[in-house]
Amino acid sequence: MIIETKVEGANVIATVSGDIDGKTAPQVQSELLAALQAGNRLLVDMNGVSYLSSAGLRMLLLLYRQVASKKGKVVLVSVSEEIRDTMSMTGFINFFTLAETREAGLAALA
Amino acid sequence: MKSLCLPATLDALEEIGKYIVEAAKNADLDAKAAYGLRLAVDEIATNIITHGYKEAGKIGDVAVSGVLTDSSLTIVLEDTGIPFDPMSHNLPGDDYLSLPLEERPIGGLGIFLVLKGVHAFNYEHVDGRNRNIFVMNRPVGTPE
Repeated sequence: MIIETKVEGANVIATVSGDIDGKTAPQVQSELLAALQAGNRLLVDMNGVSYLSSAGLRMLLLLYRQVASKKGKVVLVSVSEEIRDTMSMTGFINFFTLAETREAGLAALA
Repeated sequence: MKSLCLPATLDALEEIGKYIVEAAKNADLDAKAAYGLRLAVDEIATNIITHGYKEAGKIGDVAVSGVLTDSSLTIVLEDTGIPFDPMSHNLPGDDYLSLPLEERPIGGLGIFLVLKGVHAFNYEHVDGRNRNIFVMNRPVGTPE
């Protein structure tokens, strides 16, 4: 699992690579929540994520709550088709902005 | 298919995932079916490791095995953690799924994803062992 975060103004930009499951989700969650101390707009580039279990959905839920409480926004970039299916059937997809590319994601964050 | 027996820790999830990906490939499942199966098995394995063993203060193994026939792929997870029937869980209904994320209780989605991901799911407790059984229908006309 590789997690990189950087802060650009009020934007927190995260790049996550690897499977997000019951083992790795807590680690991703704590790093992204820590990064959110610096801003309320979060972009997560998930190009390197091909698998996300319910532990990953729980992580997205907590990130969403954290950001919503600070009147911010979460944009997910390059979400795989299977993960989008999981987010659709659980109703999660309506709460996140999805973008195909990093550039489109940054534009959606503004 | 050769079965795999692993210490029931979260490190097992990756190995189980690889086993399922391989099994799905051997069964000629398409990408969506393979993903749904992996998700289903992973959700149950996570529950076994976390609730069946760790939170119950138990240690042990989780075994994964697969049986391939002309018409189906059956995956079985076996463990000796506390008896737990995943179907005894209340499934999130439409009420839950339409709640805003702010108001949702955390958890409860795992079993929902299990039932969405496979064609049949069964649980039995036999001789002190939990057996979680996942069945996928194979594509019709699959060459042997």
